[in-house]
Amino acid sequence: MAGATLLEVRKLGKRFAPRQGREPSPWVIQDLSFSVRDGEFLTIVGPSGAGKSTLLNIIAQTDTATAGEIVFNGATVTTRDPRALKPGIDRRIGYVTQDDNLLPWRSTLDNVLFALEVQGRLNEETRAHSQMLIRAVGLAGFERYYPHELSGGMRKRTALVRTLVYDPPVILMDEPFAAVDAQTRTQLQADLLKLWDLGRKTIIFVTHDITEAIALGDRALVLSRQPSHIAAEHPIPIPRPRNVKDIFALEGFAATYEKIRADVQ
Amino acid sequence: MTTMSAPAPSSRLRIRWRTVFDRVLVGIALIALWQFGSWWFGAYWLSSPWATAVRFVEQTISGELLRHAGYTLWEAAAGTLIGGVPAVLLPFLLRRHPIMVAILDPFMIGGYGAPKLAFAPLFLLWFGIGMESKIALVAVVIFFIVYFSTLAGVRALDPKLVLMAQIAGASERDIARSIVMPAAVPNIFAGFRIAVPYAIGAAVIAELISSNRGLGYLVQTGAMNFDTTSVFAAIAAATLLVLAANALMNALEALLMRWRPPIQSMMEP
Repeated sequence: MAGATLLEVRKLGKRFAPRQGREPSPWVIQDLSFSVRDGEFLTIVGPSGAGKSTLLNIIAQTDTATAGEIVFNGATVTTRDPRALKPGIDRRIGYVTQDDNLLPWRSTLDNVLFALEVQGRLNEETRAHSQMLIRAVGLAGFERYYPHELSGGMRKRTALVRTLVYDPPVILMDEPFAAVDAQTRTQLQADLLKLWDLGRKTIIFVTHDITEAIALGDRALVLSRQPSHIAAEHPIPIPRPRNVKDIFALEGFAATYEKIRADVQ
Repeated sequence: MTTMSAPAPSSRLRIRWRTVFDRVLVGIALIALWQFGSWWFGAYWLSSPWATAVRFVEQTISGELLRHAGYTLWEAAAGTLIGGVPAVLLPFLLRRHPIMVAILDPFMIGGYGAPKLAFAPLFLLWFGIGMESKIALVAVVIFFIVYFSTLAGVRALDPKLVLMAQIAGASERDIARSIVMPAAVPNIFAGFRIAVPYAIGAAVIAELISSNRGLGYLVQTGAMNFDTTSVFAAIAAATLLVLAANALMNALEALLMRWRPPIQSMMEP
């Protein structure tokens, strides 16, 4: 299934710079360590305010770490200097954020092609691949629509495909389906698993929803409250392919759910 | 997901017709007021709407009005370009240099606040009574309006969109071209929309002070000859120029900003 360790987070710590004349701010993240294997779908569950987004921002290098380091493919990639940050670490880390952050002046297709365009990799082959992914998530026929003309679920799909098209080795996902209704959410989860099955990318998926963490992941980590660290780790013993609509009925779901729930404070 | 629910189509149509009808009423009332004023004070001091319309048509047919309007329009257009282009480019060039923006800020605000029409005599002194002095005044008036609206657009940029682009591998150049520029287009448009009537107004006022052609010249000679009909005909022509320029801006805006969600407003039924 999953291969060798691809990304490692070692004793990560984060505190934000104190405002002038104020008390030093508390640690948001402290002594947080875990690793992801190549091709693994890792889910991280944590209560709101546990520093989930901060953790992903540090991995994606849109924010600095205060302590500890991140090792990618055996090489340390962490920096303490905000000016030396390399968002996405040379396209090795893709990031699907909570807000879809689509460019409102670009159509669905042009949003999807954006990364390939700026990377100078737009050609017949990548274009055809993009079209295939657009069809795979049911967006065929909406290529020329602007984001404001799409539903919330379609925007999420566009944001997902936009990151998948350029094939970064690791993709971070920060509660990407939090803002949609339950039914759309289940469909988006099913779509995500379908897309993941095509390429088995390494995914770190953060959520506060235990069911989602079980339905999607190979393994679930539980984040503690602040200062956050890994409180527990649970393998998810449910075979793939999984039917996320009936995830509750699958063998192993109830027991795993209970275990994770006990660890999430 | 609009916060204001749109009225049903039938009632919307009714509102639209009602608006057109009421506009005609207001227009008639204004013309009646003008006509009444003309009777009250005498046509010598205040020309009547009918006489103005006749003069307007006559001067249009003779080509006189078009010739002078052409000069004014040319001055306004050239000034808008000369003042507007650097006003759009400067905020982009300064985007990565907030300290430069801060240094320039008080001077820009001073320039924005200064009564620039008062510079007209100075420009006449420097550039002569030809078109150059009018173009210079228009350029100065336009520059500050467009500069501040473009700057607001560049500043209002969502930093999350920039981060997204950087993660996807975009260079600074890509970001300027594909993120900052399109994001600022609505603000640039808003600036020009405000600036265009000022451009024509500034050209006319500079002509009023000293010139030998243009609509402002027509107004000035009309007033000197106690011919208020000519004055009104020239003002009507200047107003039409502004309306035409506005219509052009609307068409351009509709073309360039199809990506924007339509704004639901009771003000524009």
